[in-house]
Amino acid sequence: MELQHQEGQAKVIAHVIDAGICVRCGACVGICPYFDCFNGKIVVMERCYAEPSRCAQICPRIAYEPTSPIKNDGAGGEIGEYLKVVMARSSDPGIRNASQYGGTVSTLCAHALEKGFIESAILTDRGEGSRAPGGCVAKDQTEVLSCAGSRYAASGSLSEMNRAVGAGQKNLGVIGLPCQMEAIARMERAEPKESLMAESVVLKIGLFCTWALDSEQLAAFLKEKGVVGPVRKFDIPPPPADEFSVETDKGREVFPLSEVRPLIQKGCAFCQDMTAELADIAVGTVEGREDWNTVLVRTDAGLSLMESAIADGSLEIDELPMDHLNHLKAAAKGKRQRGKQAGARSS
Amino acid sequence: MMEMIREEWEGKEILLQGNEAIARGALEAGAIFYAGYPGNPSSEIIETLAEASRELPIYVEWSTNEKVALEAAAAASFAGCRAMASMKQNGVNVVSDFLTNLALSGTKGGLVLVTCDDPGGISSTNEEDARLFAHLAGIPLLEPATPQEALHMTRWAFELSEKIQNIVLLRSVSRLSHTRSNLRMDKLPDFKAAPYFDPKVPFHAFPVVEKDLARREKLKIAGALFENSPFNFYNGPVSPELLIICSGCAWNYADEAVEILGLQNRTGILKLGTTWPLPNELVKKHLKTCDRVLFVEEIEPFLENNVKAFAADLGKAIGLKEFMGKASGHVPLCGELSPDILLGVLGKLFDKQWQNTAFIEKTAAIVGDRLPPREFGFCPGCPHRGSYYAIKTALAWDNRNGFVSGDIGCYSLGLFPTGFNQVKSVHAMGSGLGISCGYGKLEKFGFDQPVITVIGDSTLFHAGLPGLINARFNNADILLLILDNSATAMTGFQPHPGTGTTLMGDKTDPVDPEALCRALGVSVEVADPYDMKEAARTIYRLMQQAGPRVLIMRRKCALIQGREGGLPYIMHINRDLCLGESCGCGRYCTRIFRCPGLIWDKTAGKAQIDEVICVGCGICADICPQGAILREEKA
Repeated sequence: MELQHQEGQAKVIAHVIDAGICVRCGACVGICPYFDCFNGKIVVMERCYAEPSRCAQICPRIAYEPTSPIKNDGAGGEIGEYLKVVMARSSDPGIRNASQYGGTVSTLCAHALEKGFIESAILTDRGEGSRAPGGCVAKDQTEVLSCAGSRYAASGSLSEMNRAVGAGQKNLGVIGLPCQMEAIARMERAEPKESLMAESVVLKIGLFCTWALDSEQLAAFLKEKGVVGPVRKFDIPPPPADEFSVETDKGREVFPLSEVRPLIQKGCAFCQDMTAELADIAVGTVEGREDWNTVLVRTDAGLSLMESAIADGSLEIDELPMDHLNHLKAAAKGKRQRGKQAGARSS
Repeated sequence: MMEMIREEWEGKEILLQGNEAIARGALEAGAIFYAGYPGNPSSEIIETLAEASRELPIYVEWSTNEKVALEAAAAASFAGCRAMASMKQNGVNVVSDFLTNLALSGTKGGLVLVTCDDPGGISSTNEEDARLFAHLAGIPLLEPATPQEALHMTRWAFELSEKIQNIVLLRSVSRLSHTRSNLRMDKLPDFKAAPYFDPKVPFHAFPVVEKDLARREKLKIAGALFENSPFNFYNGPVSPELLIICSGCAWNYADEAVEILGLQNRTGILKLGTTWPLPNELVKKHLKTCDRVLFVEEIEPFLENNVKAFAADLGKAIGLKEFMGKASGHVPLCGELSPDILLGVLGKLFDKQWQNTAFIEKTAAIVGDRLPPREFGFCPGCPHRGSYYAIKTALAWDNRNGFVSGDIGCYSLGLFPTGFNQVKSVHAMGSGLGISCGYGKLEKFGFDQPVITVIGDSTLFHAGLPGLINARFNNADILLLILDNSATAMTGFQPHPGTGTTLMGDKTDPVDPEALCRALGVSVEVADPYDMKEAARTIYRLMQQAGPRVLIMRRKCALIQGREGGLPYIMHINRDLCLGESCGCGRYCTRIFRCPGLIWDKTAGKAQIDEVICVGCGICADICPQGAILREEKA
């Protein structure tokens, strides 16, 4: 039976899942039995007819008019609205070592847990064996550090957030990609109200993102290239390197970026947000400064967390050189333009 | 109905079902050996005889399949005893390889094969006409029209078989097998048997041509006997406007329609009970009397084609006829016949108003809209629901358009919403496995869809093993789920090789499917269909592997669990938590999971437990997204 309703789940299936532009944010998973997140993919378990349906409202790949404007569409400038921009890193070299760059995200997250800003953090784990990375809940620094490092693959981690909210957990912090920050912003406005949702998420730490890879295709690619065993770290070193590096227990393998680009999720092409404009605090790299991060503090919640971490001595900051900021703005502008064009082409 | 074997009923009338009449007929003939495989509408024949075996010196068994049943019965015949095998139409297909060879070797003690056909496929995967096997094997065919005739005809079939030294096919249909009427019973014999196989008289098909000729001679003898058979008779004027030739239940329908339409003086009915070979002289005599002939029979145009061929041979001797029936479109080609259909056929031919709308209106007034729409469904608590839910989950996770290759049993309902429409093919017993052996070798051509094969425990023993062995032999990538509910549930809980008792109640070492798989060198695991999530994980994990794999989904049929003391829970719904139609649920339990124990309270917009039907398996608590379905341990 074909469902006639075009505003509910059927819309998500037709416009996103079947169209192949799902970015696996996981927002639609865990709020009902009709979607599931399995091995990094969002799968349709059954057809649903409920309307109004939250899935169609919160999916970041469905054109949607929220009741209040979402500000990651360029209105806030190239890199969105922010209170403060700095360069930051963990004061602990051990954390820096275990992390992608400066360890700022891990530090902020662990600090937020330790000081009671949040009770649990929703992160993305490293996967296990043949299982793709997925969402997980961390309660302390050890658990946070087990998730450190960039996956370059979507993980559906918001499903874990939904499950935690469903289980009645409060004071959650979510660490995620710009699309996931957008999904959370949409959830706050969706009908019927997920009443707990807005109250439950008290901190959003966003990660800069140019694109993410399709986890299935990435796994197939690595298998084809003979990369076996758990990956400790993926990295795309700054230009002119033009390469994708994969670190396992057996060592480091480097592939030309051109071989990896075809694995980029189709849905990423529509994204206009590089710097997680809807986060409380957004973190990315500093080109040429491998053990530092760029940090955009966007809200008071983000600011008080960062200031607390600095006061505590766990985070150190420095001024972000102007040319780096300009470079970031140029890159973000480029992504926004590409996203707009892709959106125009598809509509 | 064990009253029927009491001596005080001899010579008296007793209310019996058609299948019981067949059993009684065989008992009156003194047959001592009975075998069959259950299948609607035939099962009650063997079951009745099994009951009789407690008091009479006869042997009755459910065999692993129909072919084995007939083979076993043939042994008794070879040893000089009267024997019978019974089955549904599909079973005759399974028997056919043996049957066509047996027809050449011939038999000794009277041997009767009973087929209960299912016009309209009421409880079958097809509506095959097993009469064609009489034609194919070249053996006599008898078609009773009433339970009384079924009794007499079955009794006589053994005499016929002994006279021509060959097997006789007796064909019933659902309506006859399940009709009850008052029957007059004769004496039961003393069941003296002295089985002896004479080594000087072997049974085989060689030399083939000579044996073939002998078989045809036997058939001629039967044809000659049929000319004066009381099972064939004519009712009507000497020169009717229309000659109706019919057999079996269809005779009742034609007779009734003729009477209702008042056509007794215009039509004549030639009712044939011995339909192969045709009683040629009798048929010829009646063909001469009338130029318009209507054939009324169920499923295939068997009589129709044979009489037409015979008429062509007769040529000028009978003159040109107008034949009407299935070929001409006068009689429906498919489906069961009924008096109504015959009223329509004859009403049209004689331009008579036939439809009695008063009855339809009366029925509508009584029933109104109180009759709820019903669909095929698993029973409350059925483990198959859990199995298919786990399969559905694993296939969705895998997300490669995987599907289920199905088989015959309760779990065939996996085709329908009750089994989440997971099953995509169902054919014959064991075919799901054979088909999967093919899918399991398509990978080298780029086939990437996972296939899950399901088979029941009884079906595995019936016809599944060759497929499983083939998968092992050819290293086919198959994942077989043995849905082991420890019962032949669909046909009424007959014992099978895995249950540990025989039909006659003897204890026997059950065949263990797990040990069987191990012996074949096929990897085997066991899962619980009631633990759907864990079962789904196991299925998913096995789906990612290669070669032949077996997962036994083990949980007794809910009806058996009920009989053995019931299931553990009393179920409740917390209405405050139930989301009903809203986003987040969308009536998941009543719309998707669909256990009949869960019902939808339209007024409240909430789910509800049907306390009368719910058996308390408790698994629906695991699928409610809100945790609104609650399990309470029974006291």
